[in-house]
Amino acid sequence: MQRDSIQRRLIASVLLSQLILTAGLMVIGVVVTYWRLLSTLDVAMQAHATSVAVLVRYTEDASGHVYFDNSLLPESIDPNHPDQFMVWADRTGYLTRSEDWPEGLQFQPGPNQHWNFTWAGVPYHALRMTHVPVLDREVGASFRPQTLTVVYASPTLRIRQQVKAALVSIAVASLLLLGATTWLASWKIRRGLLPLQILARQASLVSTQSWKLQPPKEAEDIEELRPLTESMTQMLARLEYSFKQQREFVGNAAHELKTPVAVLKSTLQSLLQRPRSSEEYRAGLQASLQDLDRLEQLLQWMLRLARAEQWAQNSQRRELDIIDINSTCEEVVERIRSIAQSRNTTIHLATNGPVPFRADPEDLQLVWTNLLENAVRYSPQGSSVEVAVARAGDKARITFQDHGAGISAGDLPRIFDRFYRGDPSRTRATGGFGLGLAIVKALVEAYGGTIAADSTPGKGTRMTVELPMPQP
Amino acid sequence: MRVLVVEDEARLAENIARSLRESAGYAVDVASDGQEGLFMAESNPYDVVLLDLMLPKLDGMELLGRIRQSGQHTPVLVLTARDDKESVIALLNAGADDYLTKPFDLGELLARTKALIRRGKGQPSPVVTIGDLELNTVNRTVQRGGRAITLTAMEYRVLEYLAHRPRAVVSKTELLEHLYDYNWEKFSNVIEVYISGLRRKLNEGSSRQLIRTLRGQGYMLQD
Repeated sequence: MQRDSIQRRLIASVLLSQLILTAGLMVIGVVVTYWRLLSTLDVAMQAHATSVAVLVRYTEDASGHVYFDNSLLPESIDPNHPDQFMVWADRTGYLTRSEDWPEGLQFQPGPNQHWNFTWAGVPYHALRMTHVPVLDREVGASFRPQTLTVVYASPTLRIRQQVKAALVSIAVASLLLLGATTWLASWKIRRGLLPLQILARQASLVSTQSWKLQPPKEAEDIEELRPLTESMTQMLARLEYSFKQQREFVGNAAHELKTPVAVLKSTLQSLLQRPRSSEEYRAGLQASLQDLDRLEQLLQWMLRLARAEQWAQNSQRRELDIIDINSTCEEVVERIRSIAQSRNTTIHLATNGPVPFRADPEDLQLVWTNLLENAVRYSPQGSSVEVAVARAGDKARITFQDHGAGISAGDLPRIFDRFYRGDPSRTRATGGFGLGLAIVKALVEAYGGTIAADSTPGKGTRMTVELPMPQP
Repeated sequence: MRVLVVEDEARLAENIARSLRESAGYAVDVASDGQEGLFMAESNPYDVVLLDLMLPKLDGMELLGRIRQSGQHTPVLVLTARDDKESVIALLNAGADDYLTKPFDLGELLARTKALIRRGKGQPSPVVTIGDLELNTVNRTVQRGGRAITLTAMEYRVLEYLAHRPRAVVSKTELLEHLYDYNWEKFSNVIEVYISGLRRKLNEGSSRQLIRTLRGQGYMLQD
């Protein structure tokens, strides 16, 4: 398949328009030349016809009769092709005609007229002049002057040759110009498309090591290329971000997997170090199984996070129904209430009318569960956790307030980072992987929302989720 | 020999400790966070410290720095999950003697620990020779004049410690501190029992006494 080329297309369109222009020029040139030559001929013919008419004289007898004195006939306009004429007197009728008037060619007197005809292969331009006065005058009472009708025809062979010559010279000049402009255009087009090639070369230098696209100045200066370079730069920035995130995630994940794998490996190795009793083997296998369970949990959390982050990044909208945020909160509060009660913690849920939102209820429940579990986990015995759902302008605001130890100012900006554990001893004891809040953040962002944490050490922490409400 | 393991993953710490006790016959103490680790490292004379980097309360790197600031020469083997060049360089520069990346092989851990102890005592070879006595620390065998000597685990541990400090006076307290974990004090009078057992086995068919007793000072291994 022939590959399309902008350069070829541009050159072709330039060539085509040039051809149309050339053809138009040739037509106009021919018409104008012909018309001008013809009108010149017309003028000459009128002069000649008048000269012929001048040769008509009255007879001496003052009867008003006329005769033609052919002693002073005018030269033909074209010396190579003799002109023809025919004269009528309006009272006495046919008077004379040129000597070599072609046999059989007939004209009738009529009104003033210009026309063309061809006789015996020779093209003629003809004119008819009526009421031409006879210049000669006789004196006498019975003298009745006459007027003449003159038909004068001149071969237009010379005009044809001239037009042809003009046509040839216009054509030659046009073709020369056409060639020159085509060459110029293709050179300019090639030069004009050069920034595209430079841009392509620059783009080919982009790699996972170096994401920076340096749009060449030539390309940046070109209006048509600016949207391209801009969108390329933006695309690369997005790619770089997601690539870095992926790489970071893989790095983090590998790092986090190493410890449980080390535990498992050491358990099995120490079990094999020497022969052991069946009880020891059993205990070792059970311990390994527990380690594997933990590993599996970690993997599940990581996959959940990866999925949430992917949603957040692609902002892919699945087909979702509008649900009530209140009901998702109520379900989560009910589920966690028993855990809270076992820690002597009460949960208060404050709602104020339905808050419709387009989402997968499971996603929202996962978010609320993580936030509420955290709040309950870090609440001291006998305290309370307040959950509030409210509409704030065009947003839904969900807050989780606990009265625990709070988060130190140093940890606060990092609590949403993957695998970040403010105090490893505390979270490890509670089985945390440092992924819960990262998943929460990714999910909230996947729905176009934001999450923020405020904390006063010693007084408690407030998590605020804001979700954009659907426009009615 | 006495080893301190500072590791917050309880199961990993337990496995390392068990392996060191069973395969090398070392006394092992376990600290589960950085503060506890620092306290134990400062209050007991360990022959080597195995240190995890990610620790609650006090970061492993910080702990390492504190140990080195206090002028302790105890070899430190760092257990880390990070094996990138920068972090390895950083931890060696902070005073670590060696490192192992997780997940590691217990056999390798054991070998590196032994090597660090040897180096810490200025004893480059895994086979220690004093006169006609030959002590192989790898497979824990003892020979005198080509004759294999069978020792109990405790006897071997006493001899191994003495052999790593040849021609030096080793007090009973020092022996106890290095052969038992933190509740060593209740074993204070068993050392004499092991020493006499050792003397008996080493001297079989030989007239020269290898272990000398310096009254009120301790013991000395010499040829």
